[in-house]
Amino acid sequence: MAVAGILNTLSALANPKSRPEVELEGLDHLDKKTALILFAVAEAVLGENFLQKCPKFIETVDDYLNYQRPAQRQEFLIALFIAETKLFNLIVGGNPRGFSHMSLADRRKILERLRSSDQEQRRNIYAAFVNVSAATYYASDLTWPDIGYQGVSVDHPEILDRQPPIPWRPDDTRPVEP
Amino acid sequence: MAGKIVEGRNLTDEWTLMPDFCVVGSGAAGGVCALKLAEAGFDVIVLEEGPNIPKEKGPATGQERKMLNERESIMYKLLYQEGATRLTKNGGVKVLQGRCLGGGTAVNWSACLPPRLETLDEWQKRGLPFTRQNLDPYLREVVNYLPIVRNDKYNTSARRFIEGCDHLGLPHDNLPNNTHNCRECGSCGVGCPYDRKMSGFVKWLPDAVARGATVYTDTKVDKLVGSGDRIREVHAHFIDGKNRPTKGTLVVKPTKGVVIAAGAIGTPGVLLRSKLDLGKRVGRFTHMHPVTITIGKYNEKTYPAYGVPDNMWSPKFAAGPTGYLIETGSFFPVLSASATLQHGEELHRIMRDYYPSGAISYAHHTTGFDEKESYGTVKLDDNGDPELDYVIPKANIKPMQESLEVMCRIHLAAGATSVYVMRNPPLEVRAESDFAEIRKINFAESQRTSLFTVHVMGGCQMNKDEKRRCVNSDFTFGAMKNLWVVDASIFPTALGANPQVTIYALALWGAQEICRQNKATFKLNHQQGGTWPWPGY
Repeated sequence: MAVAGILNTLSALANPKSRPEVELEGLDHLDKKTALILFAVAEAVLGENFLQKCPKFIETVDDYLNYQRPAQRQEFLIALFIAETKLFNLIVGGNPRGFSHMSLADRRKILERLRSSDQEQRRNIYAAFVNVSAATYYASDLTWPDIGYQGVSVDHPEILDRQPPIPWRPDDTRPVEP
Repeated sequence: MAGKIVEGRNLTDEWTLMPDFCVVGSGAAGGVCALKLAEAGFDVIVLEEGPNIPKEKGPATGQERKMLNERESIMYKLLYQEGATRLTKNGGVKVLQGRCLGGGTAVNWSACLPPRLETLDEWQKRGLPFTRQNLDPYLREVVNYLPIVRNDKYNTSARRFIEGCDHLGLPHDNLPNNTHNCRECGSCGVGCPYDRKMSGFVKWLPDAVARGATVYTDTKVDKLVGSGDRIREVHAHFIDGKNRPTKGTLVVKPTKGVVIAAGAIGTPGVLLRSKLDLGKRVGRFTHMHPVTITIGKYNEKTYPAYGVPDNMWSPKFAAGPTGYLIETGSFFPVLSASATLQHGEELHRIMRDYYPSGAISYAHHTTGFDEKESYGTVKLDDNGDPELDYVIPKANIKPMQESLEVMCRIHLAAGATSVYVMRNPPLEVRAESDFAEIRKINFAESQRTSLFTVHVMGGCQMNKDEKRRCVNSDFTFGAMKNLWVVDASIFPTALGANPQVTIYALALWGAQEICRQNKATFKLNHQQGGTWPWPGY
């Protein structure tokens, strides 16, 4: 109950910047405010226009929250609200604005401060933001050509159904097992 | 008469069952016990929190495949504890543990090493009955049943590792595994879609079901209820595809007893929820093998996702209470990206630079031999879920720095142009002068580096010391007469080897004990033939 109270209080205080890209249909755990803050976080981690290659970013993160331990899920939502808190950003980065209202450059300054902080909690917030954003982004098929990943073999059987030389062991002439 | 697999997500009523035995968990230990108890003629129910892995239609006409589709974003959430986002309490270590039919055996990289002899010696000092000699028939059973083989088709990471070790004069060896006609998709870590890994859901569990065992998946155990020295009931509820409780509940009233095999975090969790903490001993002295990782960048494409992932290692540094095993693997976009601790253009540059031409090596570090260290503790959070409080022991920090340095040297000797170390901020090692930075990494503080573990042990240990003992040498728990613990939570220290084989062997021993205590016949059926995969062991 105490955590729920904290979440409600933080939510009441938060007023994230509205973004037309953020749609809210069918979400289980994110609401409008947390989705908007998450969008601002992801944009800072991944860059502008990240939705072009990961169009279901918000939905994917929301779905993943189903599988987290409830306590950890609540901690993530609290971290989003904390990042949107003006006082927090003033203390961390000398910037008295909500995270979502900052320019991309200023958001990245905050991330950099969190990353290098001596306080474990701040480094954990940084890790949560970059882990969630980066993992979700690179889960999208559209990002795979950028990093040379050919995809999964069940969808692309030609990756395995080939004659030697096998790309990952070119000097070994044994075939891949059928 | 054959049993079946029942998907709890489809059940909404209140169910009561009265088998002979209730096995909690379907991983390495649970699968073994389910099979051997069913084989002994007992009526066995297995409860698994995670989902079933049924067959579904494949992309081609008439093709059938498992639901395992190799896609990290889908498989992690379905097959792993907490959707593969489980962390230690301070956030410092990512804890990857299976949570599905077959448990960890479904998602491990199939490495098969026997228990270290010096670990068994240490365990004997702590009153455990296991020796190399008396474990032999159980190890032989595992080797022949799975079987365990030496697959020497090496992927790029392994080949680069061999080259680097050869340049430096370091020994390297094949790492046996439990694959059969491996397809080389590299996806062991998200479940083999081709059934070429002999995991629990391919071997132990189907055989158990064929002998009458029934497995309930999507079934989360709330608590054990007992009186006196006996457990009378196991209370559980069913969960749906998104981990939410359905309206269905299950009460199991086993006539013979309960076997707990929920893993080194799950087992203490169930016991603590059941108020069976043995004077706060349950959950204490939990160990792990923290993993340090390096990615070497080479001048050509390496196809790092594909090939047999974990069949090459170096035993050079494995000895001692803080020894480490360097192994090679495969790696995929999501796990790689989540480990970078980087943002902005640097994140994308690292992914573009290191993914297509990267080779991975990593080290499992042994912990847990210092009797003055408290190591990790499993506690319940406010919602009753288990949480591991763990800080990297001081004694392991130098070896962890050393393993990174050794792995960097191996990569560079193999021709890597740089080596990525998942430090915060990221570190790219190119020359001798960069090693000083590795020696400054503080592993004890959370998020100073990206740390993982895939091996958690202890927390409910077997020990002659009454201040530590939770499980007796006959596998009974505390003073209970019909509650046995058979999984890696009984380890009094970390193992110093990939634990799958040891868990299987000890679970066989445990199943034998349970049969003996219940006046049933236990047999090892695969003692003859086969090829011993560990020369000199």
